[in-house]
Amino acid sequence: VNPLPDVIERLKALLFRDRQERELEEELRFHIARETEARASSGSVDARREALATFGGVERVKDEVRAARGVLPWEELVADTRYALRSLRRNAGFTLTVVAVLGTGLGAATTVFTAVNRVLLTGLPYRDPDQLVRIYQKNSPTNLWSLCVVDVQAIAEQQRSFVAFGAARYGSASLSGIATPERVAVGRLTSGFFRALGVSASHGRLIEPGDDRPGAPAVVVVSHRLAERVMGGAAAAVGRAVTIDGVSHEVIGVLEPGIGELAGMEAEAWPSLRIETPTRRGPFGLRGIARLKPGVTLAQATRDLASVSERIFPIWAAGFPDATSRLTPVPLRDAVIGGANRQVGMFAGAVGLVLLLAVANVATLMLVRTSAREHELSVRSALGAGRHRLARLIVTEGMVLTGLGGLLGVGIAALSLQVVGLVAPNLPRLAEVALDLGSLTFAALAALVAGVLISLAPVSSVLASASKVGSSSLVASPARSGTGRRANHIRGALVTAEFALALPLVVGAGLLLNSFLRLQRVDPGFDPQGVYSLALSLPSSRYGDDATVQRFWRLAEMRAADISGVTAAGLSGSIPPDNGGDVNNFDLLDKPVPAGTSQPVTPWSAVTEGYFRALGIPVLEGRLFTAADSGSSPPVVVVSRAWAARYYPETSAVGRELRSGGCTTCPPTTVVGVVGNVPYLGLATGAEGVYAPLAQEGGQSLHLVVRSRLGPLATFRALRSAIASLDPELAPIEVDMTDHLHRALGDPRRWTAVVGAFAAAGVSLAALGIFGLLSYVVRQRRRELGVRLALGASPRALTRLVVRRGMRYALLGTLIGLGLSGFESRWLGSVLFGVEATDPITLVIAVAVLLAVAVVACWVPGLRAARLKPLEVMASD
Amino acid sequence: MAPDHNDLLQGTLELLVLKTLSLGAMHGWGIGQRVDQLSNDVFHVHQGSLYPALQRMLRKGWIRAEWRASENNRRARYYVLTPAGARQLATETSLWHRVSGAVNGILQVQLADGDA
Repeated sequence: VNPLPDVIERLKALLFRDRQERELEEELRFHIARETEARASSGSVDARREALATFGGVERVKDEVRAARGVLPWEELVADTRYALRSLRRNAGFTLTVVAVLGTGLGAATTVFTAVNRVLLTGLPYRDPDQLVRIYQKNSPTNLWSLCVVDVQAIAEQQRSFVAFGAARYGSASLSGIATPERVAVGRLTSGFFRALGVSASHGRLIEPGDDRPGAPAVVVVSHRLAERVMGGAAAAVGRAVTIDGVSHEVIGVLEPGIGELAGMEAEAWPSLRIETPTRRGPFGLRGIARLKPGVTLAQATRDLASVSERIFPIWAAGFPDATSRLTPVPLRDAVIGGANRQVGMFAGAVGLVLLLAVANVATLMLVRTSAREHELSVRSALGAGRHRLARLIVTEGMVLTGLGGLLGVGIAALSLQVVGLVAPNLPRLAEVALDLGSLTFAALAALVAGVLISLAPVSSVLASASKVGSSSLVASPARSGTGRRANHIRGALVTAEFALALPLVVGAGLLLNSFLRLQRVDPGFDPQGVYSLALSLPSSRYGDDATVQRFWRLAEMRAADISGVTAAGLSGSIPPDNGGDVNNFDLLDKPVPAGTSQPVTPWSAVTEGYFRALGIPVLEGRLFTAADSGSSPPVVVVSRAWAARYYPETSAVGRELRSGGCTTCPPTTVVGVVGNVPYLGLATGAEGVYAPLAQEGGQSLHLVVRSRLGPLATFRALRSAIASLDPELAPIEVDMTDHLHRALGDPRRWTAVVGAFAAAGVSLAALGIFGLLSYVVRQRRRELGVRLALGASPRALTRLVVRRGMRYALLGTLIGLGLSGFESRWLGSVLFGVEATDPITLVIAVAVLLAVAVVACWVPGLRAARLKPLEVMASD
Repeated sequence: MAPDHNDLLQGTLELLVLKTLSLGAMHGWGIGQRVDQLSNDVFHVHQGSLYPALQRMLRKGWIRAEWRASENNRRARYYVLTPAGARQLATETSLWHRVSGAVNGILQVQLADGDA
């Protein structure tokens, strides 16, 4: 069958409707005229009447022809849409409210969906990303850490599961040999890294096997952005030399534009990592990245690496006696995205609740509107519109509303995605997020579903009353018809649902706020006011031997202390509250761990005595370091009070001995003092820690910390010039400890703000819902209320009556909401600090807040009921 | 006419219209007259029912419509059989012959049985 004529006829029917109607009219008139003539000529006296009778109803035939054109549904849709738009324009207030509510809900949902879609659901931007893994050491389901050189060599030589395997060390380095030296993020890589990811260069070449051998010339691949920024373009960059941490590197290649992040590392320069022969297992700072061979499963690779571990680890057991750990591959996606799941789940849950609330709210508004239009609808029904036609009219109106809301929502989403970075900057790959086809599809589908949902209640109320429509409703006033009562039940259910949805939002916001306040109250162990730090890294090329390094640090500390206005200066490998620096394992001589089990680990900082004074960390017991604690004297450490309390809860920790770093033959280290608690692994993670004297521990990368009366600008200027006088090539990083401490609370603060905003939106919607319902009820029952007033009821009793009615819905909804809140622990449990997801006080406060808002929202219509004038009410009906 | 018979009637009506138009282009009223004559008033329907049927046949591409002067010199909408319509008529006709032949056969057998 040739479909073309059908399509053409239907298009003609749609596009040239008026002409077709004219032609139909003319054609039928001709028919009647011709038939009349024929009958007249055969002697009929009433030819025209007979002709019309034989024909069978001109209008009916016209309708049948119109139906036969096959575009009726379209025409009705167009007509319905036009009608809906007209009627919505007439009720601008209603329309604007609904579109605003829906637009906000859909906009928030689309924003969150786009971010979730990009961050979680979309694959990594590499070829066959599912084949990529990151390799960790693992000795318990939750304890994973990076690789050391031994592991990397063992995997490279013995694995049988991967087509490519590479290692990377992520950090920062000073970049010179360009206009102004600067500090950049670098990822030092072996050749397998680029091959595993399948990244390519736009200019030059990538790091190849041979570049990562010991003694190979130092080479570096740079990002396109860095080449453009400081090297005069990608083409000019290749072949030139730059200095990275004092070592000259040849630039051999430039990555494709847009590659700024690889396997979770954001860096501008990717120097070759030359693997030297190891002397022990550790330190563990290498990220292993590998691509599975086609057909090899993760489980097979896990077994493969486990057998590598079993062969290699015993050989090195002397330095790292952990018999339980295994090399373990983890899908790269999980490794990169990691904790983002939690945040995203929390936001998605919250925004879902807000969207549902918005829909429930609009559904109540639609119901009220339908009831108000009952008269109009019954007139239309009496004029021949079937009840399905009426239902379709309402659905069309709902769809037009959600369509407009969806458009507004997409606009809101486009705007809010610009600022989403401010809200959740710690989500990986969020920079890539923008509105895309997926978000538009989501917005359209969400709007469609919302359109159906908001039309359901009014449609069911119209269908239910359709039997009566045309007779009773026309004469009876809407207030007393059965429809009103039925619609009121639906409205009550919707308002109840709104409160049930709002409570989990309030509880969630309350829990996050509670947790945030607790975190804020955590004692950082020092007063950050006036404390400033300069992060310094000494390139090993120019600071090769220990003596040079120690001399530099001594001078740097002295110069800093000499600045007038600086009251104390010191050096430290780590700064609180979350820049942990080194973490070291140790074994207590009087309580050694059983053979073959892993030793305890703790944050471990190399510091000078001045560091304690600069931060104001008190000495609680024993002593601090002195000049006598030198590289040649017996090793000593100072421990934090939390450390002492954990390992020596009953007795003094001073005088105890331990061995660190897995060394079994070294002379024992003595604990000489206990100092106040300072957290190094985040405010929420406790304050255990060990400090070793810089003279004994050494260190190439340290923080020069000062307490100063000068203010940040003057202090940093003085510090910089002091350092420049020692070595002008260093590129220090400034840290204001007040800001640093403030930033450590950034995530909890943002979560609280976002969920708090959603909760505020939710509570407002619920309040609006119950306010709208009661206002309507009061208007609807003003006659009855007026009669009561006339019969002597006190106005306060009427207020109470209305409020009681509203609070019944609010209470029931809140009760259901309590049940829903139980599910929240799944989302929130892991981001909360110091408060359980079922914290009774938070629950009580949340319920109280919600009910208080409900009382206020009920009170206003209640007062209106009390102020009714009986006479006016009677007169108006 | 009961709605149940609509399909049968519609198919037949279309066949009759095709047959009519195979004799030459004609306007709606004329088609109605000829259908009545051809069918000896057996399929007599309201003349109005013709127009929805014509609209459906336009969409099937069996006929096309054009405005011409009528036999008494008035503007009238004429329907013309298309090649597709002619093919459809041929198909329908041969199908009809086969079916009616078969049905006749069956009925005659029954008749013969009844005689025996």
